[in-house]
Amino acid sequence: MNKTNAWKLALATAVAVGATQVARADTIKIGVVAPFSGPFAIYGTQFKNAMDVWEAQHGKSVAGHKVEFIFKDSGGPNPSAARTATQELLIKDRVNYLAGYVFTPNALAIAPLINQSHTPTVIWNAATSVINAKSKYFLRTSMTLPQVSAPLADWAYANGIKTVVTAVTDYGPGIDAQKAFAKEFEAKGGKILDDIRMPIKTTDFGPFIQRAKTDKPNAIFSFIPAGPPAFSFVKAYTDNGLKADGIKLIGTGDIDDETTLQGLGDASIGIITSQHYSQAHPSKMNQEFVAELKKLHPDAVANFASVGAYDGMHVLYRMIEAGGKDGAKGMKAVIGSSWESPRGPLTLDPKTRTVTQNMYIREITKGPDGKLENKEIETIKNVPDVGYPTK
Amino acid sequence: MKSLLPFALMALVAVVAFYAFPYNLAFLTRVVITMILVLSLDLLIGVTGIDTLGQAALYGTGAYAAGLFAVHVWADPVAGLLVGGLAGAVVAFVSGLLLMRTHGLTLLMLTIAVAEVFQELANKLDWLTGGADGLGGITMNPVFGTWQFDFIGQTGYIYAVCVLFIVTAILKVVIGSPFGLSLRGIKDSPARMRAIGTPVGRRRVAVYTLAGAVAGIAGALAAQSTALVSLSVYDFQVSAEAMIMLILGGTGRLWGALIGTAVFMAVHEVAASVDPFNWLFIIGFLVLAVVYAVPRGLIGLPEEIRRMVGRLK
Repeated sequence: MNKTNAWKLALATAVAVGATQVARADTIKIGVVAPFSGPFAIYGTQFKNAMDVWEAQHGKSVAGHKVEFIFKDSGGPNPSAARTATQELLIKDRVNYLAGYVFTPNALAIAPLINQSHTPTVIWNAATSVINAKSKYFLRTSMTLPQVSAPLADWAYANGIKTVVTAVTDYGPGIDAQKAFAKEFEAKGGKILDDIRMPIKTTDFGPFIQRAKTDKPNAIFSFIPAGPPAFSFVKAYTDNGLKADGIKLIGTGDIDDETTLQGLGDASIGIITSQHYSQAHPSKMNQEFVAELKKLHPDAVANFASVGAYDGMHVLYRMIEAGGKDGAKGMKAVIGSSWESPRGPLTLDPKTRTVTQNMYIREITKGPDGKLENKEIETIKNVPDVGYPTK
Repeated sequence: MKSLLPFALMALVAVVAFYAFPYNLAFLTRVVITMILVLSLDLLIGVTGIDTLGQAALYGTGAYAAGLFAVHVWADPVAGLLVGGLAGAVVAFVSGLLLMRTHGLTLLMLTIAVAEVFQELANKLDWLTGGADGLGGITMNPVFGTWQFDFIGQTGYIYAVCVLFIVTAILKVVIGSPFGLSLRGIKDSPARMRAIGTPVGRRRVAVYTLAGAVAGIAGALAAQSTALVSLSVYDFQVSAEAMIMLILGGTGRLWGALIGTAVFMAVHEVAASVDPFNWLFIIGFLVLAVVYAVPRGLIGLPEEIRRMVGRLK
């Protein structure tokens, strides 16, 4: 028996069992694979909180279908754990849809599985462009790094920044961000003075900041994954007096993410970042979203992971509404569709299957409540995933 | 005859697990692969007394070697295993020439450092390894050209179990051989072994190389069953968890490595699916309880109970 036949048999059994269930209570199962433990557990928490908000606003069933979530912990970037968890969800729990996935290798590892099982999978975070090219069943409600960094290059050049030192974490996403920024910035006529790659496990950023300082650029562009390292980097920038020397810090929204923003202190005021979401986004829908979040989880903050999950829920519910258990029908209904999200208008781009969205240039300022916030100062409308492989 | 009994028991457990958990074969395969890794560690820590926290360097290299071999040369699983084992052995031999001159904390630090160096190397060579995105595109041929890897993971499981049997049997023979006895001697007293003419340094390098081959095979199996190799194969966590499993099960007798791995991963799996948010607490509690109550590991449990019952009488 070859591979496809074995799978078809398994699928047939699954469908047969599934069909008998349809006649009775119709429950749609969705597997959520994300880090719920370890150093990246914050992602799981942000996802879960956003799901709670969605369920509070839209209920736990849609169009007569009950929606049930099954959570699996993937830990950190661990493709074999992610694959095992996904395989179990598909074979044992017979989920109809998959969601979550924070790290690129984890998402890439499951591409062969969903290609065989034809399961629509909504990525809530993993941000390397190439993922969606590996399976047509991937839909992404987060963003990609080129999507975020290219618009920032335009803005920087238009706002008097002509020379830049780039400083990014030395791994896939960091290099993606650096390349996208440098390409766009140099095309405009700007100059990259130095390209600093910082090891992923570094905690002391002082030497890198010093190196950037000696080049006397107008600004430093940076991408560092959200969390404690990004925090220390910005600390190193503020502590080494670069602001006084007239060197600006610009970067992707990861470096001043809402979960660490308050700790950065007043010295961080004036840092410019580009991101698809700010908790301070002044729309009615976002205010309602944040208010509901604070009501359910008083200590929670909303960040990019929250909207990734919230809009992921939107996509899942729309698919269920249109297709029930029929994933293909569901996908047809959502691909190309547009909706309003707490971050602004979204369209699920038929070509890249990543959401086309507004990018916001934000400046750290003090909000009306005396807390630091990412104030949106400019909007770049409808940015698609510009990094999608063209072949 | 008596020495075959544990193997029969092992076979029984493997068969029962296959039929009892038909939907968890992917997980069971991971358990079996981890068992092979922990066996390699037992050879070092338990048998020879070489304390290392760098098993990930050998495991990871085996994984990348097998992955690259499958993508660029030949997707035959068994050949891939041999390549992975060879790669692990080569890395162990070369690094062992330096590492095996040191002991104690220095050795621990250096082994960790070697794994870190390899991780950074794999990250830098992203044109070859795929960097942080991982090395993808691995599709394995059928085992011996006959058994196709299936979606549910039956072939993968049986294949891994067979490899585990062969590895365990070989290691049993090695440990029972004069070479193995000299390793035990080195554990108890290197000075005395040197005095009676055993080339201690060379023996240590030899056993490290053998452990490297075994760890490399485990890595190769992991690469083949996941069909993707990522930088996480070099994680410190890989080495540290292997050590915890070994201590949990009991060192020096191989069976402890198998039991420790099975218990640790089973508890991990159950706890993580019952409560994906707080399961780490349960794991921590288990390890604490075992280390405190049964210092020699789970394999010492029957004896410990016998002693306690004896004391009651």
